[in-house]
Parts: sequence; C-alpha cells; structure tokens
Amino acid sequence: MQCPWCYIGKRKFEAGAKEFGGDVEVEYHSFELSPDTPVDFDGTPVDYLSQRKGLPIAQVEQMLERVTGIAKDVGLDYDYDHVHQTNTVISHELIHFAKSKGRQLEMKERLLKAYFVNGEHVGRIPDLVAIAVELGYDEAEVTEALESHRFLADVKADVALAQEYGIQGVPFFVIDGKYGVSGAQEAATFANVLQQVASERDAN
Amino acid sequence: MDAATTPLTIVGSPDAAACEGDFCEIPEHHTQAQVNRQLDADLV
Repeated sequence: MQCPWCYIGKRKFEAGAKEFGGDVEVEYHSFELSPDTPVDFDGTPVDYLSQRKGLPIAQVEQMLERVTGIAKDVGLDYDYDHVHQTNTVISHELIHFAKSKGRQLEMKERLLKAYFVNGEHVGRIPDLVAIAVELGYDEAEVTEALESHRFLADVKADVALAQEYGIQGVPFFVIDGKYGVSGAQEAATFANVLQQVASERDAN
Repeated sequence: MDAATTPLTIVGSPDAAACEGDFCEIPEHHTQAQVNRQLDADLV
C-alpha cells in the first residue's frame, strides 16, 4: 500500500496485460513492508525515512522527488507533501473485505490513489470506512468487518504465503504459480511472460 | 512448502525498482532516464 513502486508497477503490469491482449485474471495479496509503523506517525514520509534509515533529509527529499517524477511518467501524480505515513494493516483488511464481495481490484486502486495522490489517511478505520462508503459499501457492515478484524487472518496468511515463496520485496508478481516477476518491470516484460504462460497452456 | 508454492522461475530484469523493508530503492538507470527526459524537455 505504501510502496511507491507498487502503484507504478501496477500501471506497468496493466500496460503489459493490454499489450498481451488475452484474458488475465488478477488477484492482489497483502504484504507488509513495515508492520511496526504506528497508525498516527507524527511526521512526514521524509521524516519517517530519514529517522528509520538515518539518511539526511535532503537525500530523502531527493529520492521522493525522483520517484514522483517516475510515477508521473506512468500517469500518476504522487503528492508526497500530503501523504500520511501510517500502518496499513487495516487497509489490507479492507481489501480482503472487498475481495469477499468480488470487488478487490476496485478497492486496491482506490486505496493506492487515496495514499499517493489524494493525501487521504489509509490507516484509520473511520477514514477507510468513508472510502468504502464512497464506493457504495454498507457503512455498518464495513465498520463491523474492520473493527472486528475479521479479515486480519487473511492478511497474515498472505504474508505467510509470500514468505513461503521467498518474497522479500514488492511489487512481486506470481504468474500462473510458476513465474516470478520482481519489481516495477517494463510493460514488455509482463507481456512476454503472459504470452509464455498462454503458449504453455495452449500446448497442454 | 505445498503445491501452491512450488519454486518460481524468476524472469525480468534484476535491476527493476522495488521496496524491501521500509526502504524503496531507485536504480541508477531510472534516475538517468529521468534526467535524460528533463534534458529533452529543457528542464535542466
């Protein structure tokens, strides 16, 4: 959710899938980069990275400026001046809630936009419920799901699955349970591996 | 390890940008590509 390369990688994957042209079924899995981040971190992403990595503020600002420029190249307007650094585990629960309704992809996109573009808080239940209600979900139902942490086990199961695969970073794409694509690769890479899988399926 | 997690064949560039832990690397070629674009646009 807070990985800048994941949103960029999502756009590149989508471009690759379009280039491939065939049917592609997508399912997102949760991965926590920094599960000990507090929900209400008192500071900006620049402060957070500077404190965590011991990097000079100017260097972090330069890093974020660069990633913002790369995001712009794929049509994403990252707004790091208004990003709320937070713990995203409940937003992952919300994605699993949406998945249970058959609407995971829509929620994933909305939450990435909320975090990177809109400057919305994606760590607090009331803010997440507001986003869900905007998408047409029942307020009472989604509030109950998030307050009871009914989908927390699904989040943790995804994290465990990633560990089984040996995945250490994101974005990471598992294609047909056979191929692994790490990082925000170029669209052609995704198109090629999707074509490879389609050819293998046709041969079987 | 069950059938769902058979070892993956890794494809693609090993230099693609990714986040590990709380740190998101920006590979050099991304930076250079962006500088090139800025030069093209007369921004630097």
